[in-house]
Amino acid sequence: MDFLLPLFGRFHPLFVHLPIGILFFAVLLIFLSKKGKTNFSNVIPITFLTGTVFAFLSAISGFLQYQHEGYTWDSVQIHLILGWCTVAFSAWLYFSFRRNPDITKNRKIHSSGLLLILILTGHFGGNITHGDDYLFEVLPSGLQSFLGIEIEQSKPLELPTENWEEIAFFDGAIQPILNHNCTSCHNPKNLKGDMDLTSAKGLLEGGENGKIVNQGNAENSKLFSRLILPKEDEEHMPPKEKRQPRKAEIELIKAWIESGGSMDQTLGDSKVSTSLISQFFAKEEFPFYPKTTLKSISSDTLSKLREKGFFIENIALDNPLLRVSCINFPAFEDKDWELLNSVSDHIAYLDLSGSKATQAILELIGTSSNITVLKLNGLEISGENLSSLKNCTNLKLLYLNSTAISMESLSLLNGHPTLEKVYVFKTPASNQEKVRFSFELETGDYLLPKLATDTIVY
Amino acid sequence: MNQLERLLNEFSQQKLQNQTRRHFLMDCVSKVGGLAMAPLLFGCEPGTIKKSQGLNLSDRDLNPLAPLPPPFAPKAKSIIYLHMAGAPSQLELFDYKPELVKYDGKACPESLLEGRQFAFIRGVPNILGPQAKFSQHGQSGAWVSDYLPHFSSVVDEVAFLKAVHTDQFNHGPAQLFMQTGSPRLGRPSIGSWVTYGLGTENKNLPGFVVLTSGGKTPDAGKSVWGSGFLPSVYQGVQCRSKGDPVLYLQDPEGMTRDMKKSVIQAINSANEESFKDFGDPEILARINQYEMAYRMQIEVPEVMNINDEPAAIQELYGTKPGEESFANNCLLARKLVEKGVRFVQLYDWGWDTHGTSKEGSIDSGLRQKCQEIDRPITALLLDLKQRGLLEETLVVWGGEFGRTPMQENREGKVQGWKGRDHHGDAFTMWMAGGGIKKGASYGITDDFGFAGLDERVSVHDIHASILHLMGFDHEQFTYDFQGRPFRLTDVEGELIHSILA
Repeated sequence: MDFLLPLFGRFHPLFVHLPIGILFFAVLLIFLSKKGKTNFSNVIPITFLTGTVFAFLSAISGFLQYQHEGYTWDSVQIHLILGWCTVAFSAWLYFSFRRNPDITKNRKIHSSGLLLILILTGHFGGNITHGDDYLFEVLPSGLQSFLGIEIEQSKPLELPTENWEEIAFFDGAIQPILNHNCTSCHNPKNLKGDMDLTSAKGLLEGGENGKIVNQGNAENSKLFSRLILPKEDEEHMPPKEKRQPRKAEIELIKAWIESGGSMDQTLGDSKVSTSLISQFFAKEEFPFYPKTTLKSISSDTLSKLREKGFFIENIALDNPLLRVSCINFPAFEDKDWELLNSVSDHIAYLDLSGSKATQAILELIGTSSNITVLKLNGLEISGENLSSLKNCTNLKLLYLNSTAISMESLSLLNGHPTLEKVYVFKTPASNQEKVRFSFELETGDYLLPKLATDTIVY
Repeated sequence: MNQLERLLNEFSQQKLQNQTRRHFLMDCVSKVGGLAMAPLLFGCEPGTIKKSQGLNLSDRDLNPLAPLPPPFAPKAKSIIYLHMAGAPSQLELFDYKPELVKYDGKACPESLLEGRQFAFIRGVPNILGPQAKFSQHGQSGAWVSDYLPHFSSVVDEVAFLKAVHTDQFNHGPAQLFMQTGSPRLGRPSIGSWVTYGLGTENKNLPGFVVLTSGGKTPDAGKSVWGSGFLPSVYQGVQCRSKGDPVLYLQDPEGMTRDMKKSVIQAINSANEESFKDFGDPEILARINQYEMAYRMQIEVPEVMNINDEPAAIQELYGTKPGEESFANNCLLARKLVEKGVRFVQLYDWGWDTHGTSKEGSIDSGLRQKCQEIDRPITALLLDLKQRGLLEETLVVWGGEFGRTPMQENREGKVQGWKGRDHHGDAFTMWMAGGGIKKGASYGITDDFGFAGLDERVSVHDIHASILHLMGFDHEQFTYDFQGRPFRLTDVEGELIHSILA
């Protein structure tokens, strides 16, 4: 019959809601009561009695859960004490009302006190199951910092690209993985399965079913095997509703166990494959378009330019940089560049293909420093002044298809620090001998061989 | 105060008097007719009237196709989606299964059939080994069969998804699922979502164009490029690659351009009057749509004409001028994207290879279909590449599901030709272009190619990734309908990070 007590303990989550509702209702009755018709004083004692009984049952079941489920005193103490306070306070109010049902100002104050204790008890109880940050986590970060709350978030494991060999395998790689994926349930305060994964000591000790690391044998180590069980399996860890570790993280845990599960060796000693390690390298994000501190152009200005015929749009909703195209403005001439003067610093993508712009436009474009993609397909450009694009210090892609550009003029751009690729399909350059530049050159003119299979009728 | 009340009173009286039965009917004509007209007129530009009326209307109020910036900087500006309607066999094209050879002609293991339902297979079918010869290609070592000799030369541009799965095994629902995110009617297609989110760049062209080949439109009908609950202007515009690209776009004989112009001017000035009376921005949108249709009459025939393309390009694609062909459509797709069309959807019918006829067989019909697309898709990738358009165009290739490793035994009988039944557990798709990791391969299937073992990808995952490349977070991109926000990916979808550059 050993199971009875823990079973009763598990009814705690059910019981706790009853006193909350009933006692809240009792307090409500006190405040709603008026002399005469709407006097509830005859039902107030019975409400308090019911509330007290269920508060008592909750407190008992809660205590049993604390005894049997691996919660530490530290984590439950406030909740436990407040819970018993609730029982005592509501019992006192019950006896007091039974003796004298009059509703006085003092009693209103007392019952509000009970309500406060009730709310706090509930809050701290919720924190035990959902975590201390449960309520504040969802607040906007501005409000969080205003309230002085700092929410610690464990970060996924990241390794530096250099000298990772010297990092301790366990402390520098495995423990961070455990911290990110496991320790929210397996920590000294919340010992699910009687297991603490926040330290090497706890890990080696294992949990209620014994050791979880079998050095040298990953398949026989629960630390690994329970991670790779199907998600639906009861034994699968982390529980399927929780965030799951990355594949590479599981692989690294496996590698650690198989390399002996030692606490001292470094990543370099362990002979873990570099390809596995490389999956943890911090990915540096290089945004395609430059980062700027420019202010957004007003929608009025944009509207006016649209009326002139430009396609003009922010490259993204809250990005001040612009994409400008003459797709709807084939009559664009060099002098129309003036229209763009007010926004020229904002242009990141400029497409003047098929317009009436001439070679001189290159010098004008050279004044806008944020241009990243420049399309000048089909313009009459031979490119003697192509070097003016050197001032476009963010230029990455340059489209000069169907222009009069030659290898000689392209060489003016050689050494451009950011230029990645230049397209010169259908230009004199595409027929000239290939030259190696600092940027990639796409000359096109692809052909597909004629194959016998092209014409067979199957 | 009194005066103001009197004025208001008078105003509402006047309004009621204006709203006669004729007005009601007139409204019906413009609204209901508008629905029908919208695909033909698809959009307009902010008109001149807006300013003269001193109204504060957004571009979108006047023109539902006005461009909008994407929420995030996009990797791709346009999409070309090549849908092989009927579902090509992954086991003859990309998913090489040497194990299957050993089991060729043997009865399929019971374990694969238990509790399963197939479209046509009944009882215990036999395993059918791969009918094509496979070899590895390019730096990436991708397996491609000899059914696609040209395509194998460009595999390094492509990222393969080899364990795509769907829960539909009939063409219509599966096509709807692949294109709209739901196997049932009523949801907007990917192209509609994208056009709704971004508008059209070229004011003279629609944002979403559909081209079909193979003699038939997809089984699911036009709903696969429908706009669902989105306004109907966002539906795909089907253009024909033979004859007039859009029906009734040409002026009839005897109607000159000037006459057309004066007709439209007259209609627009009448509409302007009625706008002054009612102040309904729909009327302004209508005026703009007439203007747009007028401009489109010039632009559409021009962009839809492939005859002006140089001979080398025609040869690259293997076009068949004057015919309806997949090759022509591929070349058109490139032209449309070049002209700023957002979403070009190609459907090629004829991939349903059950083995019930020579045309519908794995060893003959499929080869023929592959021959029809091999050169064009390769040419499309190369042509986009040489123009630099591949940097900003996403190309997607795939069917609505895959095919079984078993030979089909319709009605329990062996068929006259080699064929495979519908199968959605694991099939191959590929993507290339803007934001796609070149030469990647994602997804592992079992030795029979029956089911995905690892790195499986759902239809929703593909949609999520497509929207991501176009600059959307698929979880934030919603449209309110029937009391709740709807997404293309509904409540699912995860980005396929492994194929994103």
